[in-house]
Amino acid sequence: MLGAMLCMNWPGITIAGFGQEIAFAKSTAGQAHVNTPARKDTGNVDSSIPLKDAVNLLKKYYSIKVAYRQGLLDGKTIPSSILDDKTEDAELALKKILSNSALGYKKIGSNQFSLFEVTSQVTMKELVSGGTVAPAGTITGSVASTTDGALLQGVTVSLKGSSVGTQTDAKGNFKLNVPDDFKGRKTVLVFSFVGYAVKEVVVTEGQTDISVKLIESTTSLTDVVVTALGINKQKRSLGYSVTEVKGQEFTQARENNVANALSGKIAGVNAAGLSTGPGGSSRITIRGNGSLNGDNQPLYVVNGMPIDNTVPGGAPTVNGITTNVDRGDGIAGINPDDIESISVLKGGTAAALYGSRASNGVILITTKKGRIQKGVGVEYNSTATMENVAVIPDYQYEYGQGDGGVKPTTLLASQATGRRSWGSKIDGSTDYVGVDGLTHPYVAQKKNFQNYYQTGTTFTNSLAFTGGNEAVTYRFSAADLNSRGILPNTTYKRKTLNLSVNAKLSEKISIEALAQYNLEKGHNRTGAGDALGNPNWTPLEIANTADVRWLNPGYDSLGNEKIWNDAAIASNGYFVINKFIEDDTKNRFIGQASISYTLIKNLVFKATISRDFYGYNYTNVMPTGTLYTPLGEYAGIKSNVSETNGLVTGTWKTRLAKNIGFTVLGGVNGRKYENSQLTLTGSQYTIPYFYSFSNLANSITKPYTGKTVTNSIFGSADIDYKNILFLTVSGREDWFSTLSPKNNHIFYPSVGGSFILSDALKLPAIFDFAKIRASWAQVGGGAPDPYVINLTYSNVPSSGPALENITVNPVTNTNDISNANLRPFTSTTYEAGFEVQLLKNRLGFDVTYYNRKTTNDIVNTAISPTSGYNNVILNVGELRNKGIELLITGKPIRTRDFGWNISYNVANNESQVIKLAPGLTQIQIANSVGNWAYLNHIEGQPFGTIVGTRMQKDASGNIVFNATTGLPVVSPLQQLGNSVAPLTMGLTNEFRYKSFSFSFLLDGKFGNKVFSIFELYATRMGKLKTTLPGRENGLALTGVDQTGAKYSRTVAVANLRPYYDNYKTYSDLFLHDGSFVKLRQIIFSYNIPVSKIKMLPIQSASISFVARNLLTLYKKTDNFDPEQSFTNSNAQGFESIGLPRTRTYGLNLAVKF
Amino acid sequence: MKKYITKYTGGLLSILAVVAMQSCDKNFASINVNPDASSAAVPQYVFTKAQYDGTANMLNFLIGTMQYTTSYNDVAGFGSKYVTSQINQTYPAFTTGYTNEINEIGIVIKTVTGDASKINLLAEAKIWQVYCFSRLTDLYGDIPYSVAALGYDSSLYKPGYDAQKDIYASMLSQLDVAAQSLDGTKATFGASDLIYSGATDKWKKLAYSLMLRLGMRMTKVDIAAAQTWVTKAIAGGVITQDADVAKIPYLSTGQTINKNPIANNLWNSDYIAQNGSSNTEGGKYQDVFISYLQSTGDPRLPVISIVYNGGVPDTTSTIQKGMPANINNVKPANFVTYSEPNPKTVLLLGSPRLVFTAAESYFLLTEAALRGWYSGATASALYQGGVQAALRQWSIIAGSAGTIPTAQINAYVANNALNTGGTFDQQMKQIYTQFWVSLFPDAQEVFANYRRTGYPALVPNNYPNNATGGKIFRRMLYPQTEQNLNAASYAAAVARQGADDLLTKIWWDK
Repeated sequence: MLGAMLCMNWPGITIAGFGQEIAFAKSTAGQAHVNTPARKDTGNVDSSIPLKDAVNLLKKYYSIKVAYRQGLLDGKTIPSSILDDKTEDAELALKKILSNSALGYKKIGSNQFSLFEVTSQVTMKELVSGGTVAPAGTITGSVASTTDGALLQGVTVSLKGSSVGTQTDAKGNFKLNVPDDFKGRKTVLVFSFVGYAVKEVVVTEGQTDISVKLIESTTSLTDVVVTALGINKQKRSLGYSVTEVKGQEFTQARENNVANALSGKIAGVNAAGLSTGPGGSSRITIRGNGSLNGDNQPLYVVNGMPIDNTVPGGAPTVNGITTNVDRGDGIAGINPDDIESISVLKGGTAAALYGSRASNGVILITTKKGRIQKGVGVEYNSTATMENVAVIPDYQYEYGQGDGGVKPTTLLASQATGRRSWGSKIDGSTDYVGVDGLTHPYVAQKKNFQNYYQTGTTFTNSLAFTGGNEAVTYRFSAADLNSRGILPNTTYKRKTLNLSVNAKLSEKISIEALAQYNLEKGHNRTGAGDALGNPNWTPLEIANTADVRWLNPGYDSLGNEKIWNDAAIASNGYFVINKFIEDDTKNRFIGQASISYTLIKNLVFKATISRDFYGYNYTNVMPTGTLYTPLGEYAGIKSNVSETNGLVTGTWKTRLAKNIGFTVLGGVNGRKYENSQLTLTGSQYTIPYFYSFSNLANSITKPYTGKTVTNSIFGSADIDYKNILFLTVSGREDWFSTLSPKNNHIFYPSVGGSFILSDALKLPAIFDFAKIRASWAQVGGGAPDPYVINLTYSNVPSSGPALENITVNPVTNTNDISNANLRPFTSTTYEAGFEVQLLKNRLGFDVTYYNRKTTNDIVNTAISPTSGYNNVILNVGELRNKGIELLITGKPIRTRDFGWNISYNVANNESQVIKLAPGLTQIQIANSVGNWAYLNHIEGQPFGTIVGTRMQKDASGNIVFNATTGLPVVSPLQQLGNSVAPLTMGLTNEFRYKSFSFSFLLDGKFGNKVFSIFELYATRMGKLKTTLPGRENGLALTGVDQTGAKYSRTVAVANLRPYYDNYKTYSDLFLHDGSFVKLRQIIFSYNIPVSKIKMLPIQSASISFVARNLLTLYKKTDNFDPEQSFTNSNAQGFESIGLPRTRTYGLNLAVKF
Repeated sequence: MKKYITKYTGGLLSILAVVAMQSCDKNFASINVNPDASSAAVPQYVFTKAQYDGTANMLNFLIGTMQYTTSYNDVAGFGSKYVTSQINQTYPAFTTGYTNEINEIGIVIKTVTGDASKINLLAEAKIWQVYCFSRLTDLYGDIPYSVAALGYDSSLYKPGYDAQKDIYASMLSQLDVAAQSLDGTKATFGASDLIYSGATDKWKKLAYSLMLRLGMRMTKVDIAAAQTWVTKAIAGGVITQDADVAKIPYLSTGQTINKNPIANNLWNSDYIAQNGSSNTEGGKYQDVFISYLQSTGDPRLPVISIVYNGGVPDTTSTIQKGMPANINNVKPANFVTYSEPNPKTVLLLGSPRLVFTAAESYFLLTEAALRGWYSGATASALYQGGVQAALRQWSIIAGSAGTIPTAQINAYVANNALNTGGTFDQQMKQIYTQFWVSLFPDAQEVFANYRRTGYPALVPNNYPNNATGGKIFRRMLYPQTEQNLNAASYAAAVARQGADDLLTKIWWDK
């Protein structure tokens, strides 16, 4: 109570007032010392306060952390006058209050101190009763962190039951003299350090050298988080929601693409990996999709500087063929072992300093740095995982291969029906001929998925060296990832070299540099979408009595594709696996360098330059002998992409008044993005089976150079009042090269504040911490693509006369109308929330409400081709996302040997398309193979509505038939559902028992729909159970005709296939609820007690069993995984025959030397 | 709130602004210029592209509908089987027409309009525009016409559909104006005009020939207007000489766009393997066509048709055999024995595509003579002229490989004279059956005349689950995207014309 009152008033009152406070406080505590004459006479001058209170005051006033052994300050007081003299320097102030106390301090960080007795021997003599104390022995040892093995300086080491203590030196070593009277007694050393849990170690007799590892205490570490531009801020000061995830969470149960690992971890972050095999992209949206068809993924930032996250050649489309490959995004190139932490800045305020691209939130990756330590620290991390197909479709196995109720008994009939399960009842008969021309028993083949796809494997090995001294610290890491997909012949390899150097050149100048080199090689990445060249169609379509392996190897003696069905476009999957060639290589270099210069105390300038550059080479060969395209085709991309950022900032820290801290930051930023690309396409290999671009009868080389520049100036100011009330304001002005010169810049501001209720008010004891926060921010943005303000004309590749037409979109090859008046769009977010910690930090809540609105959105909308164009770029969209995020954390059990932590996050995002262009109520963003369904934005509806047809029914629910064709009438296009899950949640449980730990993550998404092209085709091929009615005696149809009269007919068994085939025209038959709950991750770890292995200089070692996507606990789709997406574009909501989803499990070994 | 913030950050920003502001959008104008594109169109090159695109835009499956070809499989055999599941194959001509040739001609017209020295360029572009629009409206009926392809110039993103009646009136008058404005003394497109290399006298003939075609199209719905325009066209002078035939030349190698689009389509979709067996989409000539040619002793049969005999193309007439259209999705065991297009003629990638032939003029003139609208020659002579021109035309397409000896031509003409003693209807049947054989492979124009005249008297294929109840199409469906992107215009067109159905008759077919 005393502390709370002091906090409230300190230091806004005079020292006289302060003294009265003390007196008053004491008067309530006890009558004895009240109104003593001496106190009255000397007034305030001689008043004293407990040292502990004084230290607490300093902690709050200067925002410093002070560690000391429990009980060290008890019973000590200091004259309150010492506090009278205010200095700007925390260290000076601390020194003063300790001046009379026989205590010393050690500065162990810019704002961290630890306290200890100056001369333990003397102090001990005074305190230990009973006889003379003489040194009884010396205990030496070292202290390190369990997190990374770094040796810790400034750790307080004390002898329990005495006041004997010391501190570790720069190399983490300590030396403690133990008094004689401890001889024969149980000797316990207590280790305490800021940011770490206190640890007690029993020293056995005779033991003189011990090494101790301290466990990081997450509650104290999360106090400081990395925010925009890499600035560390106290979490309590933020007016918006930030979540930090430690790097360790990505290195055990690892995903090749580190972004996928965010799934389920953070409220409001909707993360999903794609079904495209190893090396694939991820899709992350934070608080919904903010733009109708801009890139809705967050900005990725490494150590304060943006990196590129584009997919070379663009993301795959829903209906593409052959070269419709996910070539991997930028974040896929980051090695999880290099990550210290990931901060997710969700709100506009958090992102305001990054400008336009941050309107979708920012994912800040802080990489590991070197540390001051003795010798070289070595870390080795190895993971081996296996993966298997997770979902096997629920096919019918009653009627087998064939058509019209007849099974094939000749090779020709078998080839005609290779993908038709419309044959006779599966009866084990022996006159059945397969597509291999052999007779087989007519039995169900239920293992085609398992037989077609193999067990995928991924081996990751990484080695890191860290070290350094006061002047220079470094960290170097090398990592190798070698992945083999579940589709045979698919591989992905990634090598990463990362070097981080920090140097302090003088007191005023320090430099930081980071260099990362990546080599990524993909081989035979699978296609998705339409049938040609997509190997995933084969196990889907193949008749249910045919063993898929009969198709192997898919080619004849000449190397030409072998027929397995009636449609040449439905490629033989084994031919694709064995003869199609896809190769891509990405050579990537990320370099960052910064220099900071402290001009005068508290005024720091920093200049940073960063460049993310990659050279990309992609070839895709449809070989000679492909049935559908016998002479073959070729596609290639060669591109150089760079993202360059230059940033200069100045930061000045001061105090406006005694109670008011003030930090102001200003800067300029220039960003240049350039893509210099050649696309090579061609057909017909002149010399068969020789696959070179030089060997094509027809070939086209198309150059594309895309260049965008954004220049910015920005500033922000942070004001705090007594470390209780915080206010941050920022402003930024951006100039965009992609917009109309008349309207190419925008200023946008933000303001955010927080208030620490628990420090300001007397709250019930149950509350340990309470904070409310609110913020409002705008972010402006330009057009993502260059050259959209002027219509231009381009030559068309021709072998004859010169040809010209309007310049088509380089990615989609469509006619897009440019817009000479394009101006910036604006995204405005406000959010408010509170955080509380209860019951001695055992229970915590963090709740946020946000509302985010995008106006003047730059929309590339599909328009009627009769306008002469396919798309128009308009500045008209308005889109809103609002929602609530809740995070509950709990520590139900917290004992020495056993701990249980639980964390549950849930978020509901409600999106609404408010306005499209005048006269437009909906725009189309994607269409499926065969136009079986569309994805539209519709006014008044959420982002991305699936649109399609239904089987027409009358008011009483009767199916309406077209009497001419005898088929159910197709309804006009209508809204079928929402493609984006509004409700997302995750539940993490962590258990620790001695050296064992176990954690699991449940991840759920709810409320979206998925349109399945897989099921559509499985229906056409007679493989789904829904196609069973009528197989024996024909299908009796009843309903009404278009006049309303009763209608009935029977579809003969011979005509069942065409009847069911026509089901594809009714989109609603293949629409499903996409909700799911998955057991996303399991980690079972054992910390090997390396201290017992004396021979090896191992600091720590752990071995873990890890699993990802192990189980789906709840889903509504029988035949596919609801997360079966294969593009990271906005076109979600379609399952379109990509690679099946997998479950992954394996072992992880982490060792530190 | 903004004010508040500006107050606090304004000071700092203004300092930085002084340093940075002037250079904040420096060079932006040049950075945002596509180095691989030009800011102005060259009308000549755009016109060439429009000629290629307008010629190439056709619904290839109609070659099956007119029973020249078929396939055993549903997907590729849509034209000859009309299976419901493939009805979206009727969309593409509409979708691609507007964004390609219609858009391009619009650019050309915009660029050359108002310049008296470019009057020929304007006239030729307008004539070509009529050709392109007429091909679309004949397939779909009411279509966006008067306000089509104005997305950029007028921000019209949802063009209304014009009634076909109005489109016809406009097209015919546009041909009239254009034909009259052509001036041999002024500049032309020159070599960029693939059809006539800028010869204005020939363009005039093409304009009047198209007028003849479109005028005759109206005989069922407005016989008076038909007579007026046909008479006017004949007076203006139509294409009757081989040298005047409108044709686009192509190359046998190089980019796809430079290759004969019909030949290239047939080649790629089916016959590239050249073994008669592994035809990609299971295509062959249909029995109806081959039987007819055999029954009339047509000397074109060996020119256009082959059978792989021991792996070698054989043109012997007697062994030619068409495949029935009712094969239900199973490749027949004797697939190799069916006839398919001759690689040396029909599949010749470098052969010209005939846009308007002398034969077509003659047959339309024959009908005009029968109707008493033309008396410059007898129906019999005109018919004979048409047959002769048609038989000669394969040498235009394929050179020596397509040349039919004069003696054979004469013999065939003698054996297939117009039955002038027959009824009007009998003679119409003869004319348009010959028209069917003569215009092959331009199935789209044959399809239009089939709908107007009822000839050739094709027997529809009543294939299981066909979309038309066993009838031949009367029109094509509007792309489904129109329901999504241009809903009101679409609805108005359907309300005026009738259901968006394959059997709804368009205006001139009523």
